[in-house]
Amino acid sequence: MNLKIVGIDFLYSIRSWLRSRGTVFWSLLFPVMLILLFGAIFSGMGEGKYTLYVQDLDDTDMSHGFVDVLNKTGIINIMNVTTNEPITDYIKKNNVKNLIVIPQGYKSAIISSSVDPSVKVNLTYYFDPAEQQTNQVLRSVISSVLQGLNMQLSQGRTVVGIQEESTITENFGFIDFFIPGMIGFTIMQQSIYGSIERNTKFRKDGILRKLLTTPITRSEWILAKMLFMLFLAFISTSVAIGVGVLAFGIKVNINLLSIVIIVATSFLFSGIGMIIGRFVKEEETADMAAGAISFPMMFLAGTFFAVDAMPEVIQTIAHALPLFYVNEGLRNAMIYMNQTKALINAGIVLIFAAMFFIAGVVLTKWKED
Amino acid sequence: MIEQRFKCPNCGEIASFYGLPGETKITSCASCHLQGRITIPAQNQSDNVAIEVSHLKKVYGDLIAVNDISFTVKKGEIFAFLGPNGAGKTTTVEMIESIRTPTAGTIKLLSIDIKNGFNLIKERISILPQEFHSFERFTVRETLTYFSKLYKKRADIDEIIDAMDLRSHKKKLYRNLSGGLKQRVGVALSLVNDPEIVFLDEPTTGLDPKARREVWQVIADLRNKGKTVFLTTHYMEEAEHLADHIAIIHKGKIIAEGSLQELLSRYGEKTTLYIKNCKSDDAKYHLEEKGFDVHLSGDGDITVKIEYKEKVLEVLSELRHECIDYDGVDIRGSNLEEVFLRLTGARLTEEAET
Repeated sequence: MNLKIVGIDFLYSIRSWLRSRGTVFWSLLFPVMLILLFGAIFSGMGEGKYTLYVQDLDDTDMSHGFVDVLNKTGIINIMNVTTNEPITDYIKKNNVKNLIVIPQGYKSAIISSSVDPSVKVNLTYYFDPAEQQTNQVLRSVISSVLQGLNMQLSQGRTVVGIQEESTITENFGFIDFFIPGMIGFTIMQQSIYGSIERNTKFRKDGILRKLLTTPITRSEWILAKMLFMLFLAFISTSVAIGVGVLAFGIKVNINLLSIVIIVATSFLFSGIGMIIGRFVKEEETADMAAGAISFPMMFLAGTFFAVDAMPEVIQTIAHALPLFYVNEGLRNAMIYMNQTKALINAGIVLIFAAMFFIAGVVLTKWKED
Repeated sequence: MIEQRFKCPNCGEIASFYGLPGETKITSCASCHLQGRITIPAQNQSDNVAIEVSHLKKVYGDLIAVNDISFTVKKGEIFAFLGPNGAGKTTTVEMIESIRTPTAGTIKLLSIDIKNGFNLIKERISILPQEFHSFERFTVRETLTYFSKLYKKRADIDEIIDAMDLRSHKKKLYRNLSGGLKQRVGVALSLVNDPEIVFLDEPTTGLDPKARREVWQVIADLRNKGKTVFLTTHYMEEAEHLADHIAIIHKGKIIAEGSLQELLSRYGEKTTLYIKNCKSDDAKYHLEEKGFDVHLSGDGDITVKIEYKEKVLEVLSELRHECIDYDGVDIRGSNLEEVFLRLTGARLTEEAET
């Protein structure tokens, strides 16, 4: 392995990339535009799924009445949680997005409030910050019901209030959910299309034939190109995070797991690009094939919207897509700080990366048949 | 003749004689008169051979693309591999360049069998693939520098730029160059490692006549620099203009090989002299009487087949002698097109189009 040759190719690749305004646009500015656009549209909005879990610790006629009122709105599907369940464990175990807890003493507090106006009782509403639209709908329904209840009990004075808690320990918004997805998507696009260019256009133009007869080896060439793809991956990750921090004030944690996932993602989708490039000879057809793979993956793998909000069939498909684990892994590692989940996601991404990259390298041939 | 020195085994006297490689002579020592048999060593033929192809074959299923061909290319010559599209030229050159694997046969480049030794030879050869387009967003200079840096042995880039007349284009992006300039850059690229053998696969395909001539000049200059050039082409003019040695390939087989003169004399037609609008009906009679092969066409033109161009003067003298007037003459020599036609029954240009 001649690392000098690898270095030369790497530097020339960067130079060539910088000269292509189109490529720079699609690699850097397009993701920034999407972040700004989606950030502006969806921060404060959401997509719409109205299942509400209820844990009624009071278990009295008054608490039942409150749940009935919620149920009668017709837009909430109530799921009861047994009273002996530790709530945070239940949320984690069942991946619950919206849950309300009616505390023990709910009824007695309401009764006492008629004598002592200072007595109040708070319901606790747990929500997933990524579920913007659902949260908004449920909040407004719950608020309306409580407003009506308070009006009935005390002419508007707050007797029953609500205390909000994120199902994730911090209060995350849509943009926190979106930026890791955008990073995964951008690396996927760069890697697949970059790999296809090298394997179809360069073959058609005779560059691979030319290189085959020069001292550079196939391994040195692939290594140089992978270094370049990693360079692009880290540049686009930095840009996405920079925009997120500066424009939306998100908090991002860069740790080893997130770096591992970024590197593995680059290898994973470069491998997929190599495989496409091996079987599709025409450049245009290869681009179409890449689009046919990457675009559905972008929408199905939870880049823009939470997969849990999608129909069950789509969720099943999403769990078979590598980008899903990239997105989830990056979110868990960089934003939600759930390192256990991030580790699992990283492991799955690494397995996908090893499979596709090895297959891609084996299938990539400079020699003609 | 080679001078061979030898030392007498009896008295130690140094003597020399002249002879041909491989020649054996009985000679005697000038001092002690001991007689002995001295053989001048045969010159190592492979020293002068750049490319040696032996029984090369490439089969795809039922199709035999290259069918048991053998040839050698001498160092320092331009070897043209001429044939119509689909004849097997590119398959052959790509097997020599190790891009394709032969079904059978051996290939030696600079005496090294490429089957196991291609990596050893990479520094010493260079190729311009068919329809080559380099990296679009590199300038001409960067393109040359990039490829140059892949080799240990590097030629001076500025010298190549000057030699290829690319100085005024060196800062232009490759994608902004004309077709002719791109091909010139392609040929320039094949010089960055100062190679001993340069393979040029259809270097002028798709170029206009002016650009084609520019590239021809560049290729001719390669020979002047002592490079061996292996040129595949389907343009007979290109082979005629450039090649020292021509191999004609048709349907995967080499059907003729030699220098242009050898091919023309072996397979070509005689030179034809066209006498336009001959004013006398007796011209045919007079010329036939002198032993010329004469044909009369309906519009009064006469064609005379002659062995050598020098015979033209004889024909014209005869016409003058007989006071036969005419409007003009046109001389057409034999060419590779005719050689190809005679050997295959088809025109090279027609085959190329099909």
